[in-house]
Amino acid sequence: MGTQRYQGPLEKVNDYCWRIPKSYKPGMRVDGLIYADEQLIEHIREDQAPEQVANVAFLPGIQRASLAMPDIHWGYGFCIGGVCATDPKQGGVISPGGVGYDINCGVRLVRSNLSLDDVAPYKEKLVEELFRHVPAGTGQGGKYKFTHGELDRLMREGPRALGRWDLVTESDLAHTEATGCLEGAEPQNVSQRAHERGTDQCGTLGSGNHFLEVQVVDRVFDQKAAQAMGLAEGMVCVMIHSGSRGLGYQVCDDALRMLRNVPAKYGISLPDRQLACAPIESPEGQHYLGAMRAAANFAWCNRQLLMWQTRECFERVFGQTWQQLGMTLVYDVAHNIAKFERHRVDGEEKNVWVHRKGATRAFPAHHPEVPPLFRSIGQPVIIPGDMGRASWVLVGQPGSMEQTFGSACHGAGRTLSRKAAVRHAQGRRIDRELAQIGVVARARSHRGLAEEQPAAYKDVDLVVEVVDRAGLAKKVARMRPIGVIKG
Amino acid sequence: MYEIFEHTADLGLRIRAPSLEQLFADAGRALFSVIVAHLDAVRPIKRREFAVEGNQREYLLVDWLDELLFTFETQRLVFVEFDVRIDDDGLQATARGEPFDPDRHGTAHEVKAITYHALKLERRPDGWLAEVIVDI
Repeated sequence: MGTQRYQGPLEKVNDYCWRIPKSYKPGMRVDGLIYADEQLIEHIREDQAPEQVANVAFLPGIQRASLAMPDIHWGYGFCIGGVCATDPKQGGVISPGGVGYDINCGVRLVRSNLSLDDVAPYKEKLVEELFRHVPAGTGQGGKYKFTHGELDRLMREGPRALGRWDLVTESDLAHTEATGCLEGAEPQNVSQRAHERGTDQCGTLGSGNHFLEVQVVDRVFDQKAAQAMGLAEGMVCVMIHSGSRGLGYQVCDDALRMLRNVPAKYGISLPDRQLACAPIESPEGQHYLGAMRAAANFAWCNRQLLMWQTRECFERVFGQTWQQLGMTLVYDVAHNIAKFERHRVDGEEKNVWVHRKGATRAFPAHHPEVPPLFRSIGQPVIIPGDMGRASWVLVGQPGSMEQTFGSACHGAGRTLSRKAAVRHAQGRRIDRELAQIGVVARARSHRGLAEEQPAAYKDVDLVVEVVDRAGLAKKVARMRPIGVIKG
Repeated sequence: MYEIFEHTADLGLRIRAPSLEQLFADAGRALFSVIVAHLDAVRPIKRREFAVEGNQREYLLVDWLDELLFTFETQRLVFVEFDVRIDDDGLQATARGEPFDPDRHGTAHEVKAITYHALKLERRPDGWLAEVIVDI
């Protein structure tokens, strides 16, 4: 199996949206809709990601359309950058593949009072300090070790449970999606194997596309929203991208094993085994939901501890407390998750399970689930780009509720496969190239750095432009990287 | 014999072998070749026995690789030599390797999981072929 070009239909709906009609494949229950402009859609045609959008349209109980964001790329089962909502009252299913192995992979952005001038003389030292103290890399454990019972508490309560060790503040919780806790988590549904993988991985970055970046806000597009988030031009911030580590991967793996023969049991026919699912109301569906929520809460603990270690590094380098440095959390968003939300479908208000597999919630101003702090501007949407160009902060817009079940993109999206990126990097030193553009990069794996080089990704500015123009989320601030650590 | 093939965000393992046992053994090597940078530097000095139950061969392959990945993650052991026996109820295997040493073995990828996407295990006129995509 190689990378084959998508040969199916893609009908232009408007300048930013393309349709795969449900007539494309027998078994599709709804259309597929891909948000992209002319330039991005040409990239998207180059592999089988649109086929995966069509396959997701097979899922029982799917509402409105199988959706994909402009950062869509080829995944396993679901495409990455996909959104799918299912209605439990219409036999709707929950699919672990629609959440992904890295349950509640997400991003958090931390601000500071430091300017680029303050940080410039210490940049190397700061990145070195972060690289030394924030655990990253393959199977790497960290300094926090939790017992089985403590892990269960983290999974039930999310980062609030870290309060007993003074590793979280009320303000941190208020600036985390869902205050870092999905109700209904069932840690007893999380296997012993998942516990074992998670025991020393809370507070570790991992590998692959996960990163910790020191960034500077290089342009503000929406003064009011930026101010509400505490962001300003020239400000140094930190972006952290990680998820639920081995614990979450194992929860997904266990669920897929449990579901091997389940679609057949409920008479569900699927075009790809990785789309395995169960009716939401079934015992299997409920079991996965309890475990998924537990893993999601663990992921928020992981990013909280990554942020805490980052604050400690800044304290050592700058000789001030993190409070003095103004290192408060701007917001933390999940981009691999399934959530039970209220949406309007065909004129009717209903509760649906929204699967976001590489998509970010983007609720607009005045939505009841937007934290009071941001109620008047909309939910912050944090979009990591690549390590050489930019990342973004947006706010959710009303168009997301009308079109995408309150969702926007989650990143730039890959354009080169990992192998192609390594070939592309032959004879080059990615870290030196980054240094030339003012980015200090440290990675445990040179190969990893090559695979994650800027050229491996689409231009995030183009992706964000589509999301903005389509009315899903609005541009607030663009950040460029000055330091990066990778596993 | 194995090779790593392209998949946009992830990696694929393609394994060809004259026998099913050899196919499973080479799949183990293929997995660790993705995790560490220098598989040849791994010495076969520690031994572990594995038993995996199952009579559906494709799933048995996923479960076998899962077992190796879990052992790597929780005991930090890297394996390089495999002796696999397969019968109707599943497999027994002996794996040899050593504790993971990032300096000597090098780190290449963190494999999150073994996926079922486009999973393939089939008998060909010239032997066996399997394809497995791993999540990076």
